[in-house]
Amino acid sequence: MADNAAPLARNRAELERALVSRPPSVIYPIAFKLNGQPQAMTVTAEMRLVEVLRDHLETTGTKIGCSIGRCGACTVLIDGVASNACLAFAWQVADREVITIEGLDVMPFAADVRDGLLEESAFQCGYCAPGFVMALTGFLSRHPDATDEDVIACLEGNICRCTGYASIVRGALNAATRVREASTP
Amino acid sequence: MDLVRPTHLGEAISALAAGNGLPIAGGTALQLTWEAGEEKPDGLVDLSRIDDLRGVEEGPDGLRLGALTPISALIDDEIVARNAPLLATAARDVGGPSVRSMGTLGGQIGWGVGCLLPALLALDATVEWLCVEGKGMSPLEDYLAETPGSIITGIILPEQPDGAQHVWRKVGLRAGFTPGVIAVAALVSNDGQAIKTAKLAVGSGPTSPQRLKQIEQSLVQDGLGSVDEKTLRDAIDAPCDALRSSSYRKHVAARALLHGLGAKIFKPTPGTVSMPPIASSPQGERILSRHDCADEWHERTDLAGKLAGEPVFLTDLRPLGALYGSILRAEYPHARILSIDTSKAEALEGVYAVVTHKDVSGLNAFGIVVQDQPALCDTLVRYEGDPVAAVAADTKAIAEEALDLVEVVYEPLPVVDDPIKALESDAPHLHPGGNLRKTVTLERGDVEAAFAAAAFVVEDTYSTPRQMHGFMETEGGVVTPTEDGGLLVQCGGQHGGRDREQLARILDLPEDKIEVVTSPIGGGFGGKDELTVQPALALLALKAKRAVRLHLSRRESVRAGTKRNPFRITMKTACDAEGNLIAQKVDAVADGGAHASLSLGVIETAMEHACGPYVIPNASTRGQLVATNNGTCGAFRGFGCNEMTFAVECQIERLAALIGLDPITMRRNNIREPGTPGTLGQKVGPTERLSAMLDAVAASRLWTEDMPLKPGEVSGVGMALCYQGNGLGTLPPDEGDVELALAADGAIEARYGLDEMGQGMIPAVASAVADALGIGREDVRVVFGDTRNTPDSGSTTASRGSYIVWKGARATAPGLRTYLVLAASNLLDRNEETLTLVPGGIGEAGTNSQDPILTFADLATRLPLDALPTERQHVAFPKSDYTQGNARFLFISGATLARVAVDCVTGMVRVLDLAQHTASGPVLDAASYLGQVEGAASQGLGFALTEHIAMDRGRTVTGNLDTYVMPSLRDRPERMETFALEGLDAGDPFGPRGVGELGIAGVAPAIANAVAQALGFKAGEVWPTTLPLSPETVLNWSAR
Repeated sequence: MADNAAPLARNRAELERALVSRPPSVIYPIAFKLNGQPQAMTVTAEMRLVEVLRDHLETTGTKIGCSIGRCGACTVLIDGVASNACLAFAWQVADREVITIEGLDVMPFAADVRDGLLEESAFQCGYCAPGFVMALTGFLSRHPDATDEDVIACLEGNICRCTGYASIVRGALNAATRVREASTP
Repeated sequence: MDLVRPTHLGEAISALAAGNGLPIAGGTALQLTWEAGEEKPDGLVDLSRIDDLRGVEEGPDGLRLGALTPISALIDDEIVARNAPLLATAARDVGGPSVRSMGTLGGQIGWGVGCLLPALLALDATVEWLCVEGKGMSPLEDYLAETPGSIITGIILPEQPDGAQHVWRKVGLRAGFTPGVIAVAALVSNDGQAIKTAKLAVGSGPTSPQRLKQIEQSLVQDGLGSVDEKTLRDAIDAPCDALRSSSYRKHVAARALLHGLGAKIFKPTPGTVSMPPIASSPQGERILSRHDCADEWHERTDLAGKLAGEPVFLTDLRPLGALYGSILRAEYPHARILSIDTSKAEALEGVYAVVTHKDVSGLNAFGIVVQDQPALCDTLVRYEGDPVAAVAADTKAIAEEALDLVEVVYEPLPVVDDPIKALESDAPHLHPGGNLRKTVTLERGDVEAAFAAAAFVVEDTYSTPRQMHGFMETEGGVVTPTEDGGLLVQCGGQHGGRDREQLARILDLPEDKIEVVTSPIGGGFGGKDELTVQPALALLALKAKRAVRLHLSRRESVRAGTKRNPFRITMKTACDAEGNLIAQKVDAVADGGAHASLSLGVIETAMEHACGPYVIPNASTRGQLVATNNGTCGAFRGFGCNEMTFAVECQIERLAALIGLDPITMRRNNIREPGTPGTLGQKVGPTERLSAMLDAVAASRLWTEDMPLKPGEVSGVGMALCYQGNGLGTLPPDEGDVELALAADGAIEARYGLDEMGQGMIPAVASAVADALGIGREDVRVVFGDTRNTPDSGSTTASRGSYIVWKGARATAPGLRTYLVLAASNLLDRNEETLTLVPGGIGEAGTNSQDPILTFADLATRLPLDALPTERQHVAFPKSDYTQGNARFLFISGATLARVAVDCVTGMVRVLDLAQHTASGPVLDAASYLGQVEGAASQGLGFALTEHIAMDRGRTVTGNLDTYVMPSLRDRPERMETFALEGLDAGDPFGPRGVGELGIAGVAPAIANAVAQALGFKAGEVWPTTLPLSPETVLNWSAR
């Protein structure tokens, strides 16, 4: 690989002659906790959390499938609540706690959820899996004794193209059973 | 864009007064509206930190809800449930759970189109607001009409009258998590004799929120009987868009309100089927589930990493210093390119490369069959997704900015947007050979004479949708220049060897300078079979001399990606008085879109299945593939077979109804005899299970076992027989190499140049190799999808993978076993015959012991690296000797039964129960097999009911997953069962067949036939022939 690659535009004057650019975006400093670790960075008003995660921090466990909140692949927990990282502006997580699939183990029942899904071979390609796992873990951690119906309902904002959902439902109910057992003294 | 985050209302008001900031709460709608082209504001005023906007409390004026109340809280809050159950019910239908927890009540009103608005209108909500001049209160209706520049602070809902009952119904594009088509809400109180108060409203999505005051008045004055469908429809104002007509919106809203208020709505009487007597399931057929498969159930080994968020996908790779690539797509569906000027883009700081057709040093064309698709367009663009230029820059934002600076001058050309019109003599030619890309015909006997003599004839035209693969991981990956002037290409694909060949041709590089990694893939389904973004990325990487990565946005993927060919199939089928098929005429036209890709194969495959599994002595079939400017099409699970199966299986069902035969007897009378020549006259392989599949259908519980219906629904059961060819056919090469080796760490490496797209290739290989060697699955490490360390095993398509996996293991295992045992015998100084393979290593032959006396790891450690045993074999997919056309040799059988519920209020169809019977040979991996059949069923369900890319004069109207409607969790069948009949004929040497496509073919016709039964269609009547089934059409049928 060539290490001497350089931008094509060499100087500022050349650049200014050449283009009419948009006004620069205003930058805001934010601090938040990601998977227990403090993060500080500057973001623009338009920047989305998913962009911060995937492109700036390069934590790519959070997936992107539609970027308009219609598939749930980017689901993360913001203060414990499942949220679409493609809809959340980065500044909206300022001073809050974000948990992604990479940091899931801090959540109670994370292992039960994973094992429950694994046992049923709940996913095929697995691209949607982190989103489902986050939604399910977020929900079960707050409702460890939820009914089957509610467990299924908490996944309604996630789209899977491979499985037709049957295996995911089996896996989620299997996970819920494990969580119920684990949370019963 | 500016951002202000006030913590007090006063600050917020000042911020609004100072500029053009948009007040936002959750902000969940912004991405959607911005992507759809709405202008972005100069600034955002975030209201989320203002505590005054929170709270839910009961007061003297009623219930006060702070504007920041999350929509999710409306569902859970006890006060809301007590005071405004209508609102709690309605809230469940807004977005998905995570949208509901971010989105707010105030946002629903501020946005102006929220689904909750009709409910709030019916609840007589008052909006409490604040602006620079002061605060105020307005009825919601007035607030929406005036849209003052204010901040919504709260919503007040007056106390409900005693005995109030509510009606709520949101009609969307699918069962759940859907944009609204129209929603209705009503709050009615009754004193036991008459209606005392009535509040009715409609709204949601494109339908403006509105109260129906005239209707309310009629209800109170003259009772429910004074209002009928027509008066309601006339009172509702609803728009038309690309997805639903105005008339449908009004119709469905009127019926939903009437039905909800307790008026009777017409429901048709479902038809009945008399089944043949006595039936038992085929012997050996079993149901697949973790419970039923017990010891054969294996967790997927590739799943743990994915569940842990490890960066296994190629679009997750972030090589140090990689640039971001972006592709400029055609501005027109059809235009001549007059000039391309990239100088301004090149001058932008942070841009490292801009490429156009001038940078293509090899053949500027690709295509699996014929090379007609430009890597980057030079003189002509033929569809909206055609790439014209590409840039590589430091960031995505700079790359996108640079694209805006590429100046392309076009001369727009007439758009060919209809395949029938494309065949007319005055249609502009999209390719040098004309628009007719391929014709496939078959003539047998004398169809006209047979039609003349027939007792029963059914003729109709069937249409199938432009379905999108909808893989959750859109196209993308990374291309990195290598030290030797070559490239490492890491982009999702379905045949690395062929991607390499195509790229070498475009780049004019020797193939051995290009390494291609194609998987794991976040879903393929045929949509990553052809090259996608690789040519543009490769050109950028070569020019920038840096790694370049790219991951298409969903919107770009919708516009540029390949789709399923829409088919229009006119089919005329005749039988004699006893129900024996005597003639069939088929005229199929497939929209090929702009470029050939595998559409050439799709039309062949469709026509190969034009008579299904039935013996029809007189046949005249013609299939035409036609180029248009409607996007581009190619391979998609089913590959023409499922389109044709839809038409054939509806035709058979309709003929059976005409004759008065049950659907099973009708089919049984006409299915092919095992061992006879295929439709094209070719030799067909063993293990045909059509008759057994009909036995399974006859014994199915679906015919008799009712399932609970919702009010307003009628139910029906339908079936379809499936018959699907495996492999690429006689004409294309269909073979590949497979390698087994002992790796240095002691793993038995199974090196397959196939791709893991989710279908379960990895577990299938582990299973086949373990079985062939007599070792454990855990001993096997599957190496795949990487030309650097796997041989070319051919494409992972056409249900060929299972056979290649199994046959490859069988072919290589004996050699590897010999080498392993020989190596061990030398080390242990033992006679080879006393040694064998056992799980974990080398064991004692002739004993029952499964314990290794030498583990594979020890064996590997003690051997020099260059003496590690390796065995490679060439395997070929079985073919017939037929070469007049492309014909399959191996066919698999299946049958699908569906019980549906047709909602006579909305015209929407729900699949209650789906049974898939499959005979695809031995099951290599139970979980993968089950997953493939279930997943295919879901894609078939979308194909039948909701999925279609809408085009308007060559432009893609469907934008993203809000308007491309794949089944959601709530759309899944309530009950779904998958059965496998595994046995092979005695002496059948061909092992497991591929099941990946079998599960899709029968779903649409089974649903269509079930809908026909639910609606009580009589023989000779209309049939659901247009997919996806339009709820409007179904509603018109059910309300007639």
